Amino acid sequence: MRNIGKKSLGLTALKATGSAIAACVFGLAVVQSAQADGLNVWDDYTFEGQSATIEQLNKAFEAAHPGVTINRTARTFDDMKLTLKLAVSAGDGPMVTKVNQGAGDMGTMVKEGLLQPVDAYITKFGWDKLQSDSLIARDRWSDKGQFGEGPTYGISGLGEMVGLFYNKKVLEDAGLPVPTNFDEFTADLDKLKEKGIAPFMIGTSKQHMALHMIATVSQAHVDAAKRSTLDDLIYGRGGSWKTEGNVTAASLIQKWATGGYFYPGFQGISGDDAVQLFVAGQGAFLISGTWYFGDMQNNPDIHFMPFPAPHGVEKPLTVGGVDLAWSITSLAKDKATQDLAGEYINYMVSPEAALTWAKAGYLPSTILPDNADFQASTLLKEGIAMWKQVNANNALGHYPDWSAPTLLKTIDDATPHLLAGDMKPEDFVGAIDADYQAYLASKK
Amino acid sequence: MKLRSKLDAPVHKNLIYILPGLILYAAFVFGPIVSAVGISLTDWNGLGLPTWVGLQNYAGLFSDERFYLSLKNNAELMVFYCVLPLGLGIGLAAILWNMKPREQLMLRTMLFLPYIMPTAVLGIIWAWLYNPAFGPINQGLRLLGLGSLALPWLGDFTFVLPAVGLVATWYFFGFCMVIFMSGMQRLDPNLFDAARVDGATGLQTFRTVTLPLLLPEIRVVLLLTVIASIKSFDLIFTMTRGGPANATLVPNIYMYQLGFQLNRFGYAAAVAIIGAILIFTVNYAIHRLVRPADEGAN
Repeated sequence: MRNIGKKSLGLTALKATGSAIAACVFGLAVVQSAQADGLNVWDDYTFEGQSATIEQLNKAFEAAHPGVTINRTARTFDDMKLTLKLAVSAGDGPMVTKVNQGAGDMGTMVKEGLLQPVDAYITKFGWDKLQSDSLIARDRWSDKGQFGEGPTYGISGLGEMVGLFYNKKVLEDAGLPVPTNFDEFTADLDKLKEKGIAPFMIGTSKQHMALHMIATVSQAHVDAAKRSTLDDLIYGRGGSWKTEGNVTAASLIQKWATGGYFYPGFQGISGDDAVQLFVAGQGAFLISGTWYFGDMQNNPDIHFMPFPAPHGVEKPLTVGGVDLAWSITSLAKDKATQDLAGEYINYMVSPEAALTWAKAGYLPSTILPDNADFQASTLLKEGIAMWKQVNANNALGHYPDWSAPTLLKTIDDATPHLLAGDMKPEDFVGAIDADYQAYLASKK
Repeated sequence: MKLRSKLDAPVHKNLIYILPGLILYAAFVFGPIVSAVGISLTDWNGLGLPTWVGLQNYAGLFSDERFYLSLKNNAELMVFYCVLPLGLGIGLAAILWNMKPREQLMLRTMLFLPYIMPTAVLGIIWAWLYNPAFGPINQGLRLLGLGSLALPWLGDFTFVLPAVGLVATWYFFGFCMVIFMSGMQRLDPNLFDAARVDGATGLQTFRTVTLPLLLPEIRVVLLLTVIASIKSFDLIFTMTRGGPANATLVPNIYMYQLGFQLNRFGYAAAVAIIGAILIFTVNYAIHRLVRPADEGAN
């Protein structure tokens, strides 16, 4: 047997260690180099229909920009919230990304210098001609951390509204009319329950369907003419969530949840599963957003309408706004990459992309061309008509969780207790307000 | 004294041979532990510069109701992670021990099967099994006319913890059984013959002969399952994410929420450090308390 000397063994071990480190460094260099060849883009289009559409748009962009490769990463909404900030700050995240608006995500990233303003591109490409200022304002953050003011950090490709999905066939089979006002709506609920049909399809174990329901009922109590109170809350200018409308909404939903108006076992069903059950014909009503249009259009009996407002509210607010914004991160370091990112976003909010989304059954935030040649589904036609009406009324409401970084978690924690009937509606609203006031205090 | 091998050289001269392993250990185990201790002494949102706060995060934990709730849930889960698998494992091992080799092999393999699956996958499968609308458990209950028992298992405050815990029991009992069976193999058959001659019943033999002699295996099983219960994350994350309303919140899920959802990485690191201390303390207690009477202190 060959006798290996101490020195030789030590040298071998050192060489092995050195080789391992060199391999790691080389591997990293290859990854960096690969990234430099293309535009790294993160989006949250994980539903099947959405994913196919964004892939189609990416291919069209690549075809129009020879030599450019889009390196796409798709993340669910929750995964995006978890990983985006860390990935960008670590230096291996996207150059262009979708970002959830609000204090917890866009606000935090702006504060840490992880996003770049897009105002120059708004001017260059005329995005302000394609979308209203009230939509673009949702992507503004001032240097002092004031939401809705200052530079703009993104723009969205899709509009979003939370409304009332209803299954016309289920209603007809039960001999009930499509409700046109709040009283008819509650009368329908009672009659459906009497007939043994679940009035509401809902699932609360995952996603945020309960939050959207509570916000929808609550904001239906707010007339567009008196929306400034809600705007002030969302944009962090102050106010209180302890309003009569919020308590009434929480009470109503608690009554529905404990009174047998919800699909049995809703506490153990996810929001996505609830949608599939609704598409399969279970339940008469479902409160959720236009992002489910792609799934909902598989059942032609399903329609979409604004949530019926209580008596006396002429132009009720509709929860919604825009989907996550397209933003340019700090990882787009040089002017050429930033301009390429700007062009990519410009394409994503272009009338051409809007038409592609509309053809796939989704609601674009950019106004569709008048001469657009496509056959919209009934559901999408209802969505587009509602979008126009809501915007004309200046009645596009807000997602409550945008107002404070920890509010989504606070609402998620309190909602099961509200729905189980072991938390008073006043306490539920109080928990939301306490979180919000703590955030306001932390900003001072 | 003449060296038998180059490797019998003094430690400092051989250190070079373990250097690659040491570097990896330092980079992926020791370094992160030290970092976590450091981060736990700061207020850090994961993006900007951390601010030194000393022991403030630890002080905060002592008045944090959610942290206590997570510890309480973890204690309850230990019944499902440790006590039930141990009881089932030892009972099944005793039953299988008296079977013919072929039957024993078949049953042992079948009962061990859950343990070879990743717990994250098990969580997803069991979440589907528990689904109130189309899960087979509730479908079966309705088929048997027991519709009133078809509960939303993972959305019910009372039943969610046992529902998740039973999956852990199902995962671990086969593993415990195999450990106990391997322990039984080393027992001297003469002891059982002597017990039989003395007229001991099967139960008496199990209680007074088998059980005390299996204490080393019981200790191993307890150590491993207690560690698994305190570091439980994937099963709960895939099934409930700590919900509904924190009913299945455990320290590791809480740490994840604090860090990745609420951007409180300093406080999250403090939870992690306390969890690690907890594991060391409980395991030290098991190590000291669960041992044969004739085993000396070590």
